[in-house]
Amino acid sequence: MKKDNIKQFYKEFPSNPDARVKALKSILEKRGLIDQKALDEILDTYQNKVGPLNGAKIVAKAWTNKKFKADLIDNTDQVLKNMDLNGRQGEHVVVVENTETIHNLIVCTLCSCYPWPLLGLPPSWYKSDAYRSRAVREPRAVLSDFNIKLPISKKVKVWDSTSEIRYLVLPQQPASSKELSENELVSWVTRDSMIGTGFPKPPTAE
Amino acid sequence: MGGRLDPRRIDITSSNVKFKADWEKDVFAITLALGFSSLWNLDRSRYARESLEPQDYLQFGYFEKWLAGLINLLGENGIIKDGKESGGNFKKNSFRILEAKNVKKLLHMGGPTKRDSTIEKKFNLGETVSVRSNNSNTRVEKGHTRLPDYVKGRTGKVIAYHGSHILPDANAHFLGESPEALYSVEFKSRDLWDKCEHVEDTVVVDLWESYLEKFK
Repeated sequence: MKKDNIKQFYKEFPSNPDARVKALKSILEKRGLIDQKALDEILDTYQNKVGPLNGAKIVAKAWTNKKFKADLIDNTDQVLKNMDLNGRQGEHVVVVENTETIHNLIVCTLCSCYPWPLLGLPPSWYKSDAYRSRAVREPRAVLSDFNIKLPISKKVKVWDSTSEIRYLVLPQQPASSKELSENELVSWVTRDSMIGTGFPKPPTAE
Repeated sequence: MGGRLDPRRIDITSSNVKFKADWEKDVFAITLALGFSSLWNLDRSRYARESLEPQDYLQFGYFEKWLAGLINLLGENGIIKDGKESGGNFKKNSFRILEAKNVKKLLHMGGPTKRDSTIEKKFNLGETVSVRSNNSNTRVEKGHTRLPDYVKGRTGKVIAYHGSHILPDANAHFLGESPEALYSVEFKSRDLWDKCEHVEDTVVVDLWESYLEKFK
């Protein structure tokens, strides 16, 4: 059987991560392998441009437009492409719908795969060992850490993102929001409601 | 990680913090930028993070793993050595430097893993399947795989077929993309864990065809 051992080059760098990345960066700069402007652009993209608002717009549209919702679920990648919401870590997306009987919860037990173009970068708890270990084994206990208690009538369906498919939860629309317009609804859709660790709520409530 | 017993509560207090320190931003941006260099692929970079020294893997924070993995990738490509610039000649001609003007386009393109394939898939929707009882990489000793430990040898039902996707077990070791049919398989929680919270609860895992066997 083939062997493929990666040598531990990192051991030869300073152990403090701040010093370690500075040492690495100076090498890369010296050899002209990175362009600071490109790094700034990447950070600007994920810190300021791409975030859960993208996912919220899709959810609000799905709540108010039945045809869009059907399209979104059946032809997700094409619909997202048309809306310019595809991209890195969102190349292949599946939308899973919460119903009266099913509550969906998303995790990546192997690393921390997350639909970046729709939700931005994951919160730190999503990347934590505790969430990654526990979500598949005891999802209801995990949800109680988020102050959620599901009725016995609901089945929990946990989606472990082990491939390049990224998952987005389509939460149920709160009954109290039924009269609102698509635009008004956007602010009801929380990031956590699209991961399955929360519910949509009125924008003022915290 | 999946299913490992972990007594810790989920800490939701820092829910909107993306980076805990400035060095994390550098790690993130450099990793993404060099990901476009064409020297390695996403599966290789995951493998690099997973194969850090075990005690470091457990102790390192998320971006510390990224950083150490990245350094190892640069090391195996001859760019660094002994904690310094190697001074050697790596294949700089084939290294694509990410320029600011291309960032938007490239992030938007991403890296789709779905491939056209003429190979007929083996399993049908609704079919009961078994997961291989050994989740080691079958081609490379201690190699990369995306078959989680907690489903090996377990039985579930195919609920979706996603076409053919690059097989990480091969791609992480530069053995080609070897695209294979990719399925979502739903397992009953009670078939995975000694104690389950609710008999109806399920876990869905994406699994490549070679991870699966016909149910007997």
